[in-house]
Amino acid sequence: MKSPAARLRPPSEKTQIIETDVLVVGGGVAGCLAVLGAAEAGARVTVCEKGGIIERSGSVAAGVDHFFSVLEEGPEWDTPEYLLRHVPRLTDGIADMGTTARLLHGLKPMVHYLEKLGVDFTDPETGRKYYRHRSFGMPGEYTINFDGRDFKHLIGRAARNTGALVLERVMVPEILVEDGRVRGAAAFHIRHGTFYFILARAVVMATGETNRMSRNASGLPFDSWHTPYNTGDGQAMSLRRGARLANMEFYDCTLCPKGYSTQGTNAFVGGGGHLINRQGERFMFRYHPDGERARRGDLVHGIVSEIMAGRGPIYCDCTHLPPEEIHRLKETLGVDRPAMPAFFEQKGIDIGKAPFEVTVSELSSRHGGTFFRSSGILIDPGTGTNVEGLFAAGDCSTMGAGISGAAVLGKVAGEEAARHALAARKPRALPEEEIAALRGAILSPLQNPGGYTHSRFEDEVRSVVTDYVGFYRDEPHMREGLRRLRALRAREGEMTARDHHGLMRVHEARSIRAVAEAMAASAIERRETRGGGAHARADYPARDDATGLKMIVVELQGEDLRVSSVPTGLTPEDTRSTVSLGEASAHAHTD
Amino acid sequence: MPILIDEKTCLSGCTICDFFCPGDIIWRESREEPPEVKYPDECWYCGACEDHCPVDAVKVVFPPEMLDCQTPVETLMGLPARRPA
Repeated sequence: MKSPAARLRPPSEKTQIIETDVLVVGGGVAGCLAVLGAAEAGARVTVCEKGGIIERSGSVAAGVDHFFSVLEEGPEWDTPEYLLRHVPRLTDGIADMGTTARLLHGLKPMVHYLEKLGVDFTDPETGRKYYRHRSFGMPGEYTINFDGRDFKHLIGRAARNTGALVLERVMVPEILVEDGRVRGAAAFHIRHGTFYFILARAVVMATGETNRMSRNASGLPFDSWHTPYNTGDGQAMSLRRGARLANMEFYDCTLCPKGYSTQGTNAFVGGGGHLINRQGERFMFRYHPDGERARRGDLVHGIVSEIMAGRGPIYCDCTHLPPEEIHRLKETLGVDRPAMPAFFEQKGIDIGKAPFEVTVSELSSRHGGTFFRSSGILIDPGTGTNVEGLFAAGDCSTMGAGISGAAVLGKVAGEEAARHALAARKPRALPEEEIAALRGAILSPLQNPGGYTHSRFEDEVRSVVTDYVGFYRDEPHMREGLRRLRALRAREGEMTARDHHGLMRVHEARSIRAVAEAMAASAIERRETRGGGAHARADYPARDDATGLKMIVVELQGEDLRVSSVPTGLTPEDTRSTVSLGEASAHAHTD
Repeated sequence: MPILIDEKTCLSGCTICDFFCPGDIIWRESREEPPEVKYPDECWYCGACEDHCPVDAVKVVFPPEMLDCQTPVETLMGLPARRPA
């Protein structure tokens, strides 16, 4: 049998050394806006994207149909200040108000900036510009409907047109930090294996959320409700080099057709579909006064509780809806996921004729069920971190708010990183032996014999997360989960890769484990239940405002995670409802 | 196989499915050879390949694990929830 190494390019292939002012890791919405922000501020920029071309990569590569914004068009609710007053309630008291304020004030200028790039915010159904509706439990009609099938293409093209160096199919598995200051990053081409060392004065992380973390219904790990290729790489590599992560205890989960973990199922209940149990009863009102219009996390907990009480299976019933609404739902079925109509067809589901069975997806580490409270790299209002020269934006940071948050703070991150880079000293070149050592460590899975694959390693992580850290949690199980996840860290070095694509998967598996460990360590410290289904403790089933109004922060100390907390400065009164909730629109978007 | 590509319909020289696949699953390194579904276990079932194929040569086929899924929800919950009361 041919050894894996025999299939590699000869080791003599030279490392490509690139010098840049700002390195952007990830070419999704946040990454492309960071490129634009940094380039416009006068910096030389390099962007690495492990997927395909930046015009078609990231979570909204296939398109998007809504953009959340304040526009100051007159109504009382349409100002940053008004919305900011409601953020404590929306986030259950877990928000960084300074960063949220920076985001909210940046929304309207961002809408106009995107229009200059060619984005057209006209509603395809009514032909009206800035046609907005209420969604996500927000206290106003902030969500603009638009035809965003070319949204990512436009911003990707604009980023490319800045003249930035665009490295596609190039994964960054490690950044380099020296004396608390960013030096650059190492990267490799996922098909051809070219190895890059990128010397940078500032780095912007824009790698998205973390998936493939827990078991799902089909048992196929890449069948995940958000993109399975977002694996927390930015969070993990930043953590390894001293950055702090926060809100890691929260998880995201959704309802989905049984067997297919996908976004988009909320559209059925948003469009008037009912969730019914085995007896045909609309059970959601047992769990939430808003019934099917409750937040996503509440729906998930309703479905799970109903099944556990022996009243499953659960169905989504649309048969009572008028034919035109059934038609609309069928027409828009593939907006979030182009393959969804094919799934319904191949499974023989006709939503107009019979209820279809639903279940819940796996867990992801993302928004914790709401905007303005993401699990990720802890950022300040300027998107900076505790590591000098390291910035973060979008869903890998603590301030996620869909593509709106990614766009606004992505651009801020680019600008701030450029400012930092242009004032920083020229970094000294790295000694050749140091680059060689780094390269050797990153490529080592290609030389590993044996059959310990990334999928076996990941399966172990997923089973620990599911059984011990997962959905309904208690301290003894999470402690055991944490112990097992730490033990798995010792096995990371055994993973083997057959090619550079497989090498990418090995590094992704390491990231997933690191995020899972941060989730377990943080979730132990939140001794309460909070967040509309984002953190449910079996041993502390109630919300506890005396101890809970804090952000839980993790950082690496030696080999282990150190957990601390920062009070959010919000009071229980701040989090009380001041407007009526639950007026979900007929277009209940999934983000 | 999650993705079927009809080699007779597939346009020679077109690499759209290769470039639009977000997971690096579909490869067409040589224009003369048909595209290859190289890492079928890593398919997201997103449908970007089928959606963007200019000649409708691509079809996403869901496997039995997804179409006939029988997994009880309990197996997705943590042990505390599955523990007898």
